[in-house]
Amino acid sequence: MTAGPEGLPQTPPALSAEEAAALAKRHGLPSLGGRPPFGDYVGSLWGQRSFIWTLSTAQTVARNSSDRLGMLWTVLNPLLLIGSYYLVFGLLVPTTKGTTNFIAFLAIGVVIFGYMASSITRGSKSIVNNIGLVRALRFPRAVLPVAETLTQVVTVLPAIAVLMVVVIVTGEPVRWHWLLLPVALAMQTAILGGMVLIAARLVNISRDMTNLIPVAIRVLRYVSGVFFSIEAYAARFDPFVGDVLMIQPFALPIALVRQCLLEEAPIQWIQWAAGLGWAVVLPAFGLWFFWRDEAKYGRA
Amino acid sequence: MAAPDTPAGGRTSPVPERRPAAIVSHLDIIYRVVGGKRSNTSAIGDDEGESIFRNLIGRGKTVATVQSVHAVKDVSFVAYHGESVGIIGRNGSGKSTLLRAVAGLLPPTNGEVFLAGTPALLGVNAVLMSALSGERNIYIGGQALGLTKAQVKERFEEIVAFSGIGDAVYRPMSTYSSGMAARLRFAISTAAVPDVLMIDEALSTGDAEFRKRSGEKVDEIREKASTVFLVSHSNSTVRDLCDRVLWMHHGRLIADGPTEAILTAYEGWDPKKHPAGPPGIG
Ligand SMILES: Nc1ncnc2c1ncn2[C@@H]1O[C@H](COP(=O)(O)OP(=O)(O)O)[C@@H](O)[C@H]1O
Ligand SMILES: [Mg+2]
Repeated sequence: MTAGPEGLPQTPPALSAEEAAALAKRHGLPSLGGRPPFGDYVGSLWGQRSFIWTLSTAQTVARNSSDRLGMLWTVLNPLLLIGSYYLVFGLLVPTTKGTTNFIAFLAIGVVIFGYMASSITRGSKSIVNNIGLVRALRFPRAVLPVAETLTQVVTVLPAIAVLMVVVIVTGEPVRWHWLLLPVALAMQTAILGGMVLIAARLVNISRDMTNLIPVAIRVLRYVSGVFFSIEAYAARFDPFVGDVLMIQPFALPIALVRQCLLEEAPIQWIQWAAGLGWAVVLPAFGLWFFWRDEAKYGRA
Repeated sequence: MAAPDTPAGGRTSPVPERRPAAIVSHLDIIYRVVGGKRSNTSAIGDDEGESIFRNLIGRGKTVATVQSVHAVKDVSFVAYHGESVGIIGRNGSGKSTLLRAVAGLLPPTNGEVFLAGTPALLGVNAVLMSALSGERNIYIGGQALGLTKAQVKERFEEIVAFSGIGDAVYRPMSTYSSGMAARLRFAISTAAVPDVLMIDEALSTGDAEFRKRSGEKVDEIREKASTVFLVSHSNSTVRDLCDRVLWMHHGRLIADGPTEAILTAYEGWDPKKHPAGPPGIG
């Protein structure tokens, strides 16, 4: 920098990169470019749990107040969906093979898959949709995808209530297995949390990803046993392919919920073990994957 | 609120020991701008076939030209605790970008930023969540700044009183005038005494009375050994609140020194005569 004109004070000379780093070190100033160690990051996220809850309830309120009917849609929507899928897959193109209570079977597929679809669609945009917040305040960015996952839990509860009504009305007996439903939903939520973290980073890297997610969800809807029993069709495949189709993290939660609520679906503990595995591995991996870009969220 | 009695050279720093609060070293910020309109709102949310189709068609129209805007070029400075630093320069000179980078909200393309503690950035466009009431935004902002829910609750009345927006706090922020929103944001950002407070043109929207109160608040924050960065189009606000000024021009830091000296040169510069920058600098 050259000397200023008359009257203008000399600008202090710039420190070299090494001098700046040394000065920062002497006074204990952390560099903003880095990310905190992963352990600290997990800790700070835990420390923000109350903030996460505040954000999540705020989101719920904001969404429900934008529609005139508000909360009513969370009940109407699954009903309409179940009805239209029943029209197509129950009456027009029957795929009822291998099921006895097809309506309840379908309702579970629709509601549980819908939960996954909306969590991932919304969650993947949790950073880019809150860019104002990201650019105004510093907080562990994983707060946003985690809050969105929670928001989705709250949003799906009325649909679960609808589901229970459908199950009862279609004549399923009350069994102790129903007590496993919260366990299955908790595992599913953990799995979704992991997926949302992964998707949120990908969308932050390239917004074009938001165009691929609906396509991926559409494909997954057809291979995850939403309206037919994978088991009934698995026999046509190579046994390995059949197993993969059944154990993949989109199909598994649907299968587990069916085992909770439908008499025709016997409990398969091996699948519950697999679900638990996903519920541990996916959130851990997702958080790690998300954390890798911690310093990059909010980039212009 | 021009203060004619402010001595030339601004105020003296109230903190005797010069501890750096922000070290900016050879900072470059390059925005990558993808040309053309992007379809990013309607794409997702409903996952019906037409929307994908629409996006695919829409994509054909956008020619993906990637331009880059070098908004901040090789900027270095050290700011100290208790210092209040004004950033001046014409529109588009990179003031907001610099501020965001120093707050750690915009990752540097080159160079490095070291910062003591948590920053809070208060920009004109810093929407928190405009669909939500001011009340909820106070909780969100306060907790993001590190307050507990109980602490926000405790300071809630104070924040509302300071912002002076009254019962409007229970209405969605989207219904606020820009002055009201700015006042509320200021009240939120200062509720927690951030280590580094950054104000981007947020004070200019308020009325005279609010400007006076916010000036006092800035002083109070500096006395707690925090550092304040202020971008303002009003030279009198900068004169009043800052003891040091950084002058940005076309992304470069062309002058850095005591307020009065820099502002005098800035005011004496006629951009029409010297569009490339003031003669003798840069
Ligand atoms: N989000 C953005 N994407 C691309 N370019 C940007 C963005 N924000 C600012 N710029 C560009 O960076 C330069 C500096 O902008 P800014 O920092 O806002 O200036 P100032 O605050 O001094 O008016 C301008 O040329 C502006 O067009
Ligand atoms: Mg600006």
